[in-house]
Amino acid sequence: MRGIINNRLIVILLMTWSLGPLLWQVYTSFATTNALVGIEIEETMRWTLDNYRQVLESDPPFHLYIINSTIVGIFSTLITIILALPASYSISKIKEKTRIISKTILLGAALFPYVLLFLGLLEYAREFNIGNNLLFLSIPYAALSMPLAILLMTAAFQDLPLELEEAATIEGMNIVQRLQYILIPLISPAMGSTAILVFLFSWNEYPIALTWISNTELLTLPVAIARLAGSSVYSVPYGAYAAATVLGSIPLLVIVLIFQRQIISGLTQGAIKG
Amino acid sequence: MIILFILPAFLVITFVFGVPLFRYAWMSMHTVSVMSGFEPIPNYGANWIRLFNDYRFWQNTIQTTRFAITSVTIELILAILIALVLNQNWKGRGLIRALSLLPWALPTTIMALGWRWIFNTPYGPIEKVASSFGFSPLNILSNPNIAWIATVITDVWKTTPFVALIILAGLQTIPNDLYEAFYLEGGKPTNAFFTITLPLIRPYIILGITFRLAQAFGVFELIQVMTGGGPASSTESLALYAYLNAMRFLDFGYSSTIMLGSFALLVFACSIAYFLFNKSKNRVTS
Repeated sequence: MRGIINNRLIVILLMTWSLGPLLWQVYTSFATTNALVGIEIEETMRWTLDNYRQVLESDPPFHLYIINSTIVGIFSTLITIILALPASYSISKIKEKTRIISKTILLGAALFPYVLLFLGLLEYAREFNIGNNLLFLSIPYAALSMPLAILLMTAAFQDLPLELEEAATIEGMNIVQRLQYILIPLISPAMGSTAILVFLFSWNEYPIALTWISNTELLTLPVAIARLAGSSVYSVPYGAYAAATVLGSIPLLVIVLIFQRQIISGLTQGAIKG
Repeated sequence: MIILFILPAFLVITFVFGVPLFRYAWMSMHTVSVMSGFEPIPNYGANWIRLFNDYRFWQNTIQTTRFAITSVTIELILAILIALVLNQNWKGRGLIRALSLLPWALPTTIMALGWRWIFNTPYGPIEKVASSFGFSPLNILSNPNIAWIATVITDVWKTTPFVALIILAGLQTIPNDLYEAFYLEGGKPTNAFFTITLPLIRPYIILGITFRLAQAFGVFELIQVMTGGGPASSTESLALYAYLNAMRFLDFGYSSTIMLGSFALLVFACSIAYFLFNKSKNRVTS
């Protein structure tokens, strides 16, 4: 394929396109309102930290939303892995025919635009009075991530050679020992990829958090940001918006740069095996 | 033993995916709203009749389909191009790949808000560039004819990295020998793309398209934050309409009907796409 595409040009375009809007947010977050609306002013009047001050001093404090999102992310990831691990082990062991049917159902569920489920899920929150609780919010998140998690980990279990487990059985290890000492360590890369994808999903999820959480102290970051934007489509406190989006993006920037390998392998394995 | 292992996950999936759909089916046959004091009253299909005659529902169906098809088509073309570049060996590829993933990893609400500022009239950068070229204000987000294009651009920005990764996974399964043999036979690079690359990454393209179409069809927060469905409902999506019916008009029966109706339309659209796709595949192979 070499030669027909000018690589460097495309990479530059790609980076401008992907990062440009983010850098524009960073610029906006440090600019004064006068600078943003284009009033001719001196250079020293163009830059400010007021936007950040405004966001950080708001009530409840902005970092609370980041903490809430992190709590939900961790809980959902734990629940998903704990339930999906035994399930995917079993699916990798059952009859070929049953396995294909299970995988097809799981794929269908993974493709489902889950936003259409929000009203049904809201009924649970009302029925059992579990809205406004970050731990309970993690349960629907775990369930929504479950199909993809099981698919990814089943594929990992299937990739392990059968002899391995047979040998361990002959050595007298029971099923829990086999999983604990042999199988789980071997599929840990797939488990890591799954965990990070579930965490990202839960961190970013919006419609369910929007309908389950009404207590401002418990809002997750995406909902808090949307609320900030809420009132009017045409108003201009964009400096403060931008400061909030920059602060909200930093945790994810760090996660993507640290875990890029796991994220990419999770997504691509999902594509190859799914 | 096996059952014990699968059961918890199976139960959770059933309760979250299965039960709501049956619940919707039941609610869609009842009036459950402020009018009924939220007590379900059977209404013998009145919700469904209302849905069929609801101009706004069909308008939203057209708008959502327009959004989904335009976004996914552009994403696919860009993603193939990006994947081809990322599939080659050059220095710094890993970093570029990680950075290009950023838009996908950020919460949709964050960047929907960011793009609303980019499209802002008159202070956003696009309007500024336009006015410096002497154009009159474009009023992108307040013009019912073009506001939806802004939502498409934002969606393309956000989800192209995901599609590109799927395609890249496909490209990496193609052995290099195939190309070498093709060039030895005197083939041209452009032909190599159409005779080797495209057919071999076809399953990945299908997977990417299916997944993205389903997601785009359920577009919600992007619209809610960027335009709120406006101007004049011109960007309103089905999911947003269902949401408004439940949370603003407090008509849960009708909201359930909209969601089931949307789901049925999605399944219908997918089967048509699948049918057409199989037909085109048969034509290619024969």
